[in-house]
Amino acid sequence: MSPEGLRATGGRAPDVFREGGWIPMRQYGLDEEVDFLIIGTGAGGGTLAGKLAEHGFSVVAMDAGPYFRPLEDFASDETEQGKLYWQDKRICTGENPLQMGGKNSGKAVGGSMVHFAMVSLRFRPEWFKSRSLLGYGADWPLDWREMWGYYRQAEQALSISGPVTYPWGPKRPRYPYRAHEINAAGKLLAKGAEALGIKWTETPLATVSAPRGEAPPCVYRGFCRFGCSTNAKQSTLNTWIPRAIKAGAEIRDLAMAGRIEVDAADRVTGVQFYRDGAWHFQKARNVVVAGYAVETPRLLLNSATQRHPQGLANSSGLVGKYLMSQSNQAVFGRMQEEVRWYKGPPSLTLTEHWNYEDKKDFFGGYCWMAQGPLPIEWAFIQTGARGLWGEALRQEMMQYNHQVGLKMVGETLPDARNSVTLADETDQYGLKIPRISFSWGENDKALIQHAIGQMTRSMEAIGAEDIFAQTEDANHLAGTARMGFTPQDSVVNADCRSWDIPNLWICDGSVFPTTGGVNPSLTIQAIALRTADRIKAMAQRGEL
Amino acid sequence: MKPPVPSKRHTPAVLAAKRLNRGAAMLATSVLLDSAVEHYRGAFHNPAMLAPIATSLAALAGSLHGHGDDKQQRHAKREAIFALTAATGLAGTGFHIYNAMKKPGGLSWQNLFYSGPVGAPAAILLSGLFGLLGERVRDADPGTTPKICGLNAGRVASLVTSIGLLGTSGEAGLLHFRGAFQNPAMLLPVTMPPAAAAMMANAACGDGRKNRWFSRLWLRMTAMLGIAGVGFHIYGVSRAMGGWRNWRQNAVDGPPIPAPPSFTGLALAGLAALALLRDHPED
Repeated sequence: MSPEGLRATGGRAPDVFREGGWIPMRQYGLDEEVDFLIIGTGAGGGTLAGKLAEHGFSVVAMDAGPYFRPLEDFASDETEQGKLYWQDKRICTGENPLQMGGKNSGKAVGGSMVHFAMVSLRFRPEWFKSRSLLGYGADWPLDWREMWGYYRQAEQALSISGPVTYPWGPKRPRYPYRAHEINAAGKLLAKGAEALGIKWTETPLATVSAPRGEAPPCVYRGFCRFGCSTNAKQSTLNTWIPRAIKAGAEIRDLAMAGRIEVDAADRVTGVQFYRDGAWHFQKARNVVVAGYAVETPRLLLNSATQRHPQGLANSSGLVGKYLMSQSNQAVFGRMQEEVRWYKGPPSLTLTEHWNYEDKKDFFGGYCWMAQGPLPIEWAFIQTGARGLWGEALRQEMMQYNHQVGLKMVGETLPDARNSVTLADETDQYGLKIPRISFSWGENDKALIQHAIGQMTRSMEAIGAEDIFAQTEDANHLAGTARMGFTPQDSVVNADCRSWDIPNLWICDGSVFPTTGGVNPSLTIQAIALRTADRIKAMAQRGEL
Repeated sequence: MKPPVPSKRHTPAVLAAKRLNRGAAMLATSVLLDSAVEHYRGAFHNPAMLAPIATSLAALAGSLHGHGDDKQQRHAKREAIFALTAATGLAGTGFHIYNAMKKPGGLSWQNLFYSGPVGAPAAILLSGLFGLLGERVRDADPGTTPKICGLNAGRVASLVTSIGLLGTSGEAGLLHFRGAFQNPAMLLPVTMPPAAAAMMANAACGDGRKNRWFSRLWLRMTAMLGIAGVGFHIYGVSRAMGGWRNWRQNAVDGPPIPAPPSFTGLALAGLAALALLRDHPED
């Protein structure tokens, strides 16, 4: 499809389950003051759009990216699938500049969940009170017991395929679908964990192990992180977005929000957005920003007015602050036997041992998962982490089928140095681009060293040869619009409502005060589900 | 229900043996096709994976031969085939358990779900056992009650059917649990056969003279369930990526189409057992 081609228009939207198919979609006029205008359609915005529409609100949700039909638009090609990432111009600085792309951004209807690794984990309960209970970071204004219920809803909405019993944390209900068959790379993680005497389990994944509605069971194609072309993956694109449209929401593809407008009474009135070659203004009673940890603060900062010179919702000065990026270092090695780690979802097994074990000399936790990088990604690791090139690289790539590895998802502490601010440069829309500054803190470095040591032990225990560590890599973002208890300590309250502007909401990973040692998507969805319920309750009480 | 009238060609014992041969043949057919597909899927990684195909083929031939045999005496070669078949089933069960246990995690849901199904080889064991029972029944002196180890053969066949139904239902339950019972019809093979198993256990231990019309009706329904299961599994294959257009992958990886008729085979054997009991109600 041509990227400039609008699809969600003319009273219809693409049917993601059919090549060339369409579903009817309600549309709203620009002057129609919709109840909720949501910017971003990923784990936060897409989920919220679905749930708010089902609660009976009028909803328009826009995304800067295209509206894909996985069956016809997704190729088995790592490079082609780069079209799913947000690759607009940014400035990345700091001691450890982040590499923006596939691991931390998405530009498509459905957001980065279209290419997420499907790992759907719950927070350790203590992390919601990590300052009070564990002595680091900040407390969340949320109670884990309430979140446990919303995690369950999110797991059901995505039919998560997970283990029959989960070995860590408080009891959780059985996952809706059974775990997938473990591939050789996953078995080697299990073997290593058993040798180390720590627990492991099948990773709860958002790809179905049995048919579900129009979604066929996973065929283990292995391109999960580059867009699932069969719809086995349960992403926002093929779960919440169709639900939202069915419940009367409008999705606007290729619609870039540029500025949120605020009136003299400090209430937002709508959003300026660029679509189909022109700028438009959509009126709205409430605006929800769900652009993730870079685009969310960027839009708030770009919407500054004379009354809000620091940007919207920023009286605390915390918009753009405390950016976190989870550590994603890895240890790789080679087995005598063939592993063929590209088969199936890449992270079929994991250990959360070090998320639940507190006897360590640093704060925070981490998990590690089995790996299955596709050839181009593997070549990048060889050139980047090992500096191989030419014949040496060619020889190493010949060993691809024998490689095995473990990759961590580690907690990064909130650090005031790490931030998203505005640069003076502008992008193709004429909007100021973000400057993303990131450096590992001393605690982060200690955690990473510990993880690399443990993963190396596991690799040694399975008899891997030529073991090497990929010491620099990061993935999921969080922070930059944290939730908290007072207007001074945070940007939004527990309901994702901004302290400064009561009809401005933020619902994505940027509200995380801490990031935990697990992939964030399920927590973002759980927060969105809770927010939708809270909005419904407040609307019934006339508190919107 | 009218009592069956032995024809000029058949004595009641031969008729009962033939009925058991029918059940055994259906079980052998199911195993033959199922193991052929599943072991092809496993690329015959271990040469022993050919064994169930060879023995179920032999058991099928033996059962069909028995079905066409009016002689009231056992057939040594058939008996040997059935004994070999049963032994293969027993060994296969052992193999599958060993294969599941040796993987990381040992006895775990993961290994029970995705290793060679622990219960599947038992179907060929049952086929062999019913074949052997048939030979013994056939061999009974005219006018006497067929006995196995001194026990009424009808009761023994009922007991074997009961255990077989329970085991096969357990197998279907395990694999349908793996499929998260995503279709409510997946509950049928874990509810109907256990009820049939209870009725057969009652027949094995209860009043030999009782008219078991409801059990026969239930067994016939169970037999039909096995056939309906083929249809459900054909539909299940269509729900995989590419559906039947991609049959070479989906018919192999999808729900096993030849597996459900195991219930039909067991139900037929159960009907044979009840007929034996009715013909020879004394203990």
